Amino acid sequence: MKLTLRLERRLTPSRALGFLIPVFSIVLALCFGAVLLAAVGKNPGVVYQKMFSGAFGSRFGLTETVVKAIPLMLSGLGVAVAFRMLLWNIGAEGQLQIGAFAAAGVALAFPQAPAVVIIPAMMLAGFLGGALWASIPAALKAKLQVNEIITSLMLNYVAIYWVEYLVYGPWRNPKGYGFPGTAPFSPAAELPRLGTSRVHLGLLFGLVAALCLYFILRRTKWGYEIRVIGENPTAARYAGISLTRNILMVMALSGGLAGLAGMSEVSGIIHALQRGISPGYGYTAIIVAWLAKLNPWAIVVVSFLFAGLLVGGDQLQISMGLPAAMSNILQGAVLFFILGGEILVRNRISLTWEK
Amino acid sequence: MTSAVPSVQMLVITKRFPGVLANDHIDFSANAGEIHALLGENGAGKSTLMNILSGLYHPDQGDIHIHGRRVALRSPRDAISLGIGMVHQHFMLVEPHTVAENVTLGLDEPRFLLNSGQIEQKIAALSEKYGLKVDPEARIWQLSVGEQQRVEIIKMLYRNADILILDEPTAVLTPQEARELFATLKRMAAEGHTIIFITHKLDEVMAISDRITVLRKGRVVSTVFTSATSKQELARMMVGREVFFQVTKSPWRGGQAVLRVEAARALSDKGLPALKGVSFAVHEGEILGVAGVAGNGQRELAEAITGLRPLTSGEVYLCDRRITNQNPRQILDQKVSHIPEDRLGMGLIPNLSLSDNLILKGYFAPPLGRGPFLDQKAIDAHCRELISRFEVMAPGPDSSVKLLSGGNLQRLLLAREISCCPRLMVAVHPTRGLDVGATEAVHKMLLEQREEGAAILLISEDLDELLSLSDRVAVLYEGEIMGIVPAQGAQVEEIGLMMAGTKRARPAEVAA
Amino acid sequence: MFRGKVLWTLLAALTLVATLVAACGPTPTPVPPTPTPVAKPTIPPPTATPAPTAPPKMKVAFIYVGPIGDAGWTWAHDQGRLYLEKQLPYVETTYIENVPEGADAERVIRDFAQKGYQVIFTTSFGYMDPTINVAKDFPKVTFMHCSGYKTAANSGTYFGKIEEPRYVSGLIAGKMTKSNILGYVAAYPIPEVIRGINAFTLGVRAVNPKAQVRVVWTNTWYDPAKERTAAEGLLDLGADVIAQHQDTPGPQQAAEARGKYGVGYDADMSKFAPKAVLTSPIWNWGVYYVDAVKRVKEGTWKTEQYWGGWKDGIVDLAPIAAFVPAEVKKLAENKVAEFKTGKATIFTVFSGPLKDQTGKVVVPEGKSMTGDELLNMTWFVEGVVGTIPK
Repeated sequence: MKLTLRLERRLTPSRALGFLIPVFSIVLALCFGAVLLAAVGKNPGVVYQKMFSGAFGSRFGLTETVVKAIPLMLSGLGVAVAFRMLLWNIGAEGQLQIGAFAAAGVALAFPQAPAVVIIPAMMLAGFLGGALWASIPAALKAKLQVNEIITSLMLNYVAIYWVEYLVYGPWRNPKGYGFPGTAPFSPAAELPRLGTSRVHLGLLFGLVAALCLYFILRRTKWGYEIRVIGENPTAARYAGISLTRNILMVMALSGGLAGLAGMSEVSGIIHALQRGISPGYGYTAIIVAWLAKLNPWAIVVVSFLFAGLLVGGDQLQISMGLPAAMSNILQGAVLFFILGGEILVRNRISLTWEK
Repeated sequence: MTSAVPSVQMLVITKRFPGVLANDHIDFSANAGEIHALLGENGAGKSTLMNILSGLYHPDQGDIHIHGRRVALRSPRDAISLGIGMVHQHFMLVEPHTVAENVTLGLDEPRFLLNSGQIEQKIAALSEKYGLKVDPEARIWQLSVGEQQRVEIIKMLYRNADILILDEPTAVLTPQEARELFATLKRMAAEGHTIIFITHKLDEVMAISDRITVLRKGRVVSTVFTSATSKQELARMMVGREVFFQVTKSPWRGGQAVLRVEAARALSDKGLPALKGVSFAVHEGEILGVAGVAGNGQRELAEAITGLRPLTSGEVYLCDRRITNQNPRQILDQKVSHIPEDRLGMGLIPNLSLSDNLILKGYFAPPLGRGPFLDQKAIDAHCRELISRFEVMAPGPDSSVKLLSGGNLQRLLLAREISCCPRLMVAVHPTRGLDVGATEAVHKMLLEQREEGAAILLISEDLDELLSLSDRVAVLYEGEIMGIVPAQGAQVEEIGLMMAGTKRARPAEVAA
Repeated sequence: MFRGKVLWTLLAALTLVATLVAACGPTPTPVPPTPTPVAKPTIPPPTATPAPTAPPKMKVAFIYVGPIGDAGWTWAHDQGRLYLEKQLPYVETTYIENVPEGADAERVIRDFAQKGYQVIFTTSFGYMDPTINVAKDFPKVTFMHCSGYKTAANSGTYFGKIEEPRYVSGLIAGKMTKSNILGYVAAYPIPEVIRGINAFTLGVRAVNPKAQVRVVWTNTWYDPAKERTAAEGLLDLGADVIAQHQDTPGPQQAAEARGKYGVGYDADMSKFAPKAVLTSPIWNWGVYYVDAVKRVKEGTWKTEQYWGGWKDGIVDLAPIAAFVPAEVKKLAENKVAEFKTGKATIFTVFSGPLKDQTGKVVVPEGKSMTGDELLNMTWFVEGVVGTIPK
């Protein structure tokens, strides 16, 4: 007798499992983490409690989690709309940087402008900046069939180094003792904040963007075209839907949202353009979009939870004296288990005894 | 003819897929020396049962005996070692390799050490013996579909398969090729092989089999001797109700040319000439059938007319307006509908809902689309109306299309393509893979459109279908029209010759 | 199905990219890295935070941009933290490493402030604005930011005059070169790095007016392979002493591989290239940390822009290699003594006549540059070969 294990494809992915398995995966990841934590002599219960309360357990933690969720949400939505159409936009990071650059340019050029003028102008600049940046891989894809994964990814580096060049060179704050970074924005160019917390208006951008995206996908002709292309490009061609136009428009929207994320970071949090405005938000956004199965509302929720994981991870160091690597391991484990669990949603395991 | 022990015995086989009971306590047996047809509609469980016998699937329950010995089939390899070989609908051949290489591919024998002449000798002997003419040194891509099928059969014989399963083998053959295949099968049966033949074509069953097992909805309806049954009875067992084979249609009333194709040339996906100067016309209230073996330019023709494939030269006119190389949207706006060959790959979007699929050709214009938005109310009403009018069996407009059966998929597709009141309808293999009941319904719908005055270009591989529905039949061979004949009184022999590449002596332009 | 497959492949690739990005992400500050001569390079475990001991301890937090095991900038600050704990028993410390310089820093600093830490050291230039922001909301907490220029009533800055030991290293290098070409592997074209190059060059030219210093920019603080390659380029040009403003000993190893000399930085880099390293200008943060925390404890701390020199002990020169000839060593040690007593300072180094690269006198005889001029220095002195990108 031998026991064989087989993965069988589910004809229709189970809906209940679609919810239960991620939950189960997180539990499994936490168990895995618990073993590690116990091995370094920490009580996993205490650590998890600290992480949770660090991210969600206080007004401060909660608001900080929201702050972190904003760029993930915006760029996650941008990534998702492109992925919906099978456009693999890996360039959200660069589009975010260019959005931040464009918004900062507006803020620095018009230091005297009142908030009602400068904020919308920065939003527009950020959105357009990201959109134009994303249009480069889009045009190459639409006109020359160049793989957008490569071009959008490579443009990230160009964008990051462009911002670096500016903050080290031409845009360097003349009163900054030669240190990299632009001069701070005028107070009018700062996004309003919620009370004393750092939660800024960008949250509203994110929520409105999710609402709009949901509406576009469900209720407009354009959204219908995006869904058709995403599910069956051949059928789209058959129905006379223009792939070229949609590639350009969807990538512009995708990049625009990432650009808006960059704008809200510099205008809402940093109040200047500097190096490292994004610790890889554009990449994390891809994971967020994927975990949320490209659903706009799920992206709002997932980006909040994901931000919680990042913010809570600080407590491993601050309260528990664990090295930074530990929180990276925990975050990695959660991701690994959730993505691994996806296999079970799509397949089932059959165990059989055989002669 | 029957020996004491059946060569194949499958007892109470049950196989369940999520949501489907594919095989429900099926008993099946076949004897050495007989040709046993496995007959049933699509989804009746024929292929599942045979995939179990060839080791691809594992039954949830049930026993299999081969030559009286109980066996466990864990893989196709196990099945082959027991002498069971299956020829699938889609051939499993390596195109750039030779026939001999394909035949010996996957064998444990160290074939490079073996004298290759010896292999070719053995292949030659097999093909001689059973009339399977094929050159062992030819490369697969050089062979016709019929020859490729022969390679598949030789492959199984080379592995000493004495139980041969063929899954819808005639679907890709010309009538002549089918006849040759039947002769081969009879010879093999006479040699003592067991031949199991999966099909849903009643004529074939009557022509070749010794016994017939009819399946319906995963169960055995009956096993009968061919000599003791009739087409009518078999159809009734298959469908579960009385079926009428005669389609009645009124004679063509005459009318203007709706579609005119003039010297059309186009390339295939591989960039090779697929249409080499095709000219014909289809008129109001007329069905022009296009016969031909698969891959002779049918798909390219349909796509060239509907704007999906550019013409390299030649012209297409719709009611005397030039539509050559317009884009698909412009063409469908002029009331041209298209039932593509690949229903799920092109015609429908499996993961979207029924209503999303039903609006595919109309969402951009009123009443379904208004300004930049979709009018949800109008869409709902439109879809409900179509679903009930075309009797699509589905839980509702919001359920996903991929859950529909083949017949319902085609109803859905036709519902959409007919609802735009087409002037021209291009229908490619509209009944392929459909069961008898669904085929009947599709035929009815096409004839209704004809009655309403639409011009229909019907591309099909089913000669019976073409002859009964069409007013005229054109035969396409390697991108050229070999001839156009009136369907009434057409000789199958003559059409068969044209399908094999013989040009009709006098270029026919009949009834135009 | 197709979509699924692509997405999975994509995700796998992405995870990889994300990991790489995370690994290269937080580059250290635009400020020089450091080792202290205080302790061996072992990394003791961090101290736990809340301990119910009888007299409540003074809680001090450190925010680091890199990992404490980076053997460079962060490691040096952490050595300072350990020195502080050892010197002042009433202090307990905590640190957080790998904090990116963007939006995350403010949250982490604020979290420490909320948790009752009385002194918070933020050790990277990019933490400047976050530090000021948090300081506004926590007037009772004392903040000290390394290398910045913004202050508040409860927030000061601190930095050191590493140019002083750099000048002395230049004296040694100028004596040791035979080709009269010296190479300098430099991080970013910002005043701090430019000042270092100038100080080194002034040292070199003080003993060897014919020598020139060739500069190569790497645009990175920490990239061993790139720094090494840059050094090799300089060696190919004929340089026989390689100085550096980088966080790894890569340039020194490159020099050693060719049998040439080098001047390290941050830490005593002689253990990485014993036959090449002449000496290394190094940091000693612990001295300042003890002094500052003591003053906070005693209530005498006032906001300040601390810019300590050799005399204060915050910067130093690692031991000069044994193979350096006795008279060169003697010359260097005499100068070291002048700096240690305060007779020589950064201002005597940068005193007239100073010519720029074109030979034009910028600082006339008898004048010396002001602190502000030094902090904004964006021109090379005569003897430097290279350009400053604008």
